[in-house]
Amino acid sequence: MQLNGSEIIAECLLEQGVDTVFGYPGGAVLNIYDALYKYSDRITHILSAHEQGAAHAADGYARTTGKCGVVIATSGPGATNLVTGIATAFMDSIPMVAITGNVSNDLLARDSFQEVDICGITLPVTKHNFIVKNVKDLANVIRKAFRIAMSGRKGPVLIDIPKDVTGAVCEYTPEEPVISPEPVLSSQSEFEAAAQAIDSAKRPMIYMGGGVISSDAEKQLLDFAEKTDCPVATSIMGLGGFPSSHRLFMGTIGMHGGYETGKAADNCDLIITVGARFSDRVAGDRKKFGEKATIIQLDIDKAEINKNVRTDYSLVGDLKDTLARLTEAVSLTKHDEWNAQVSEWSKKSGVKETPKSDDYAHPYHVIEAVRALASDDDIIVTDVGQHQMWVSQKYSFEKPRRWCTSGGLGTMGYGLGAAVGSAVANPGKRVILFTGDGSFHMNLNELATVCSYDLPIIVVVMNNTVLGMVRQWQKLFYGRRFSQTDPHRKTDFTALAQAFGVKGLRIHNDDDAEKVLAEAFASKEPVVIDCRISPDENVLPMIPPGKTVDDMVTEME
Amino acid sequence: MENKQIISLLAHNHPGVLLRITSLISRRGFNIDSLTASPSGIEGFSRLTVRMSGDDDQVEQFINQMLKIVDVKKAEVLPEESSVAMELILIKVNSDAGNRNDIIALTSTYHASLVNLGESSLTFRASGTPGQIDKLIAELAPFGILEMARTGIAALENGDTCLAD
Repeated sequence: MQLNGSEIIAECLLEQGVDTVFGYPGGAVLNIYDALYKYSDRITHILSAHEQGAAHAADGYARTTGKCGVVIATSGPGATNLVTGIATAFMDSIPMVAITGNVSNDLLARDSFQEVDICGITLPVTKHNFIVKNVKDLANVIRKAFRIAMSGRKGPVLIDIPKDVTGAVCEYTPEEPVISPEPVLSSQSEFEAAAQAIDSAKRPMIYMGGGVISSDAEKQLLDFAEKTDCPVATSIMGLGGFPSSHRLFMGTIGMHGGYETGKAADNCDLIITVGARFSDRVAGDRKKFGEKATIIQLDIDKAEINKNVRTDYSLVGDLKDTLARLTEAVSLTKHDEWNAQVSEWSKKSGVKETPKSDDYAHPYHVIEAVRALASDDDIIVTDVGQHQMWVSQKYSFEKPRRWCTSGGLGTMGYGLGAAVGSAVANPGKRVILFTGDGSFHMNLNELATVCSYDLPIIVVVMNNTVLGMVRQWQKLFYGRRFSQTDPHRKTDFTALAQAFGVKGLRIHNDDDAEKVLAEAFASKEPVVIDCRISPDENVLPMIPPGKTVDDMVTEME
Repeated sequence: MENKQIISLLAHNHPGVLLRITSLISRRGFNIDSLTASPSGIEGFSRLTVRMSGDDDQVEQFINQMLKIVDVKKAEVLPEESSVAMELILIKVNSDAGNRNDIIALTSTYHASLVNLGESSLTFRASGTPGQIDKLIAELAPFGILEMARTGIAALENGDTCLAD
């Protein structure tokens, strides 16, 4: 059938099973938005307040569903506003297709109004990008974009489409999406060699990451861990990929991870790395990380092998397959003594709690109070900073895809957009956003979106009135010279919420936390809770950058 | 061990593919001596030859990162002992009547041919391995090199194996 470029876009989105897109209209995408008007019965468009929010929403949608997030923006500033959202998704391997309009072919390369080379700009933060100059190529480019975004190590793909292409007509023939299985690149003998190393280990541990979640391999990991009786540490990207209540689960590893995970990594004789990449926030000193241990690495991305830490064995392929094959190849083992040792360390893992106060709530107390009210299916989103680390330490996740956080890029301002995407994708579930007053100020404009779509998001603003994480580093490493981390803002978050049409509540201290949170959970509407936290609260323990567990800081002030 | 390695790439000659490759080299901090791009003889594909300095881990990482570029189809090390790698140089040397014959005698041992005779200069064309070319430059340096242009390496594996296999 003969369709114009914009209708082809809509048809191709439907081919891929897309029923929800996020975005913001503008001059160069007028044709596309005209098609979205026509297809509004089959494609829901969620309008954000700012393109960055739309990109984070597509990201939150993808993280909580496993589907590809889709975001649309106009040329020029619309496109550049997506960049932080695309980079966030890229660093965390989140599948996303970003569609941007551009000026018409005859205006390209003339510095026309709202023209920008978004392919050039996004080149280092996308898996691939395209500019489609001929409508005849459009359908196949869109299909290819989804294939790239969703295959191998997932990630964002951008398609830039000049305005005349979105209006030009050509023949369109529907096609079924091609789903090709992920190949396992390692040989049977490599599996056997790795299995032998696992069987002969006395003190093995698993270090897992976000790959477990993007491969939907949580069941395979659980089987493997139970058969080998290995304690499990996770990067913050892996949270939810292994049940927190499981006897083998230790918690997060790295800069703000527990004492036991650090000690385990330092004393084990084998580390089995599953879908994780030894980032500097986990392996602070990559020369020393696991230096006494044999290292096995399972990853879908061959380029992760030997990138940061040298491995002795590597298995390349989709984790579902590689874990299942490895589980088959290993013997059923018990490591009672080693697991007892890990439990001993975990008893020493606690940090000194700050004294109770009338003026402030304790962050752990608030997180635990939320956990008590939330179900295992509810979705937790964070921004970036101290609150993010407290949640990663304290919130116990039982299931995958209930956790959205910017792990790699560390994007302050990520949270509210991601919460919008999560709430749109999961109508039956409660979405709780933990944010800080610093992060929230960055993109709180999306409260308008929360209100427009009446999304029952609970926003817990851990309001310590300072930029807490940077301030903590200034305390530790810059002689308490608090340069630009105390903004003296007077924002009244409850009044602000009300101005947007959202309910505002306040937690003054530990004593009213439960009551206020219960009220928020009981109402089915969006709520912003201004939660007063001491500006002197720190995230502990902490392994200073470039250091090891031996340098762990457990007390400050 | 830090050494020089030659890597051959086969890439779709889509617009921007050279930018994708060079951008990756730059942001991952790979240390490149030369890079050449030319038609590969296979319709729609370009062949790129990169000479890089790095240890084995860096070379492995280079290849694995290159293969993540959607347009790059092949990336392989060309082993020095079983490959032929050549480059071409045009080099303009300061010369007067007094040393002209000395220079011509010297360059002839490199099979360099005189391509232009200026009033006070000689321009030679020579081809050879990067090592031979380096040596030629070193030998001509005392006379004063006015300018030069090197093509970068073209390299193929010996025997019947091809990159596209």
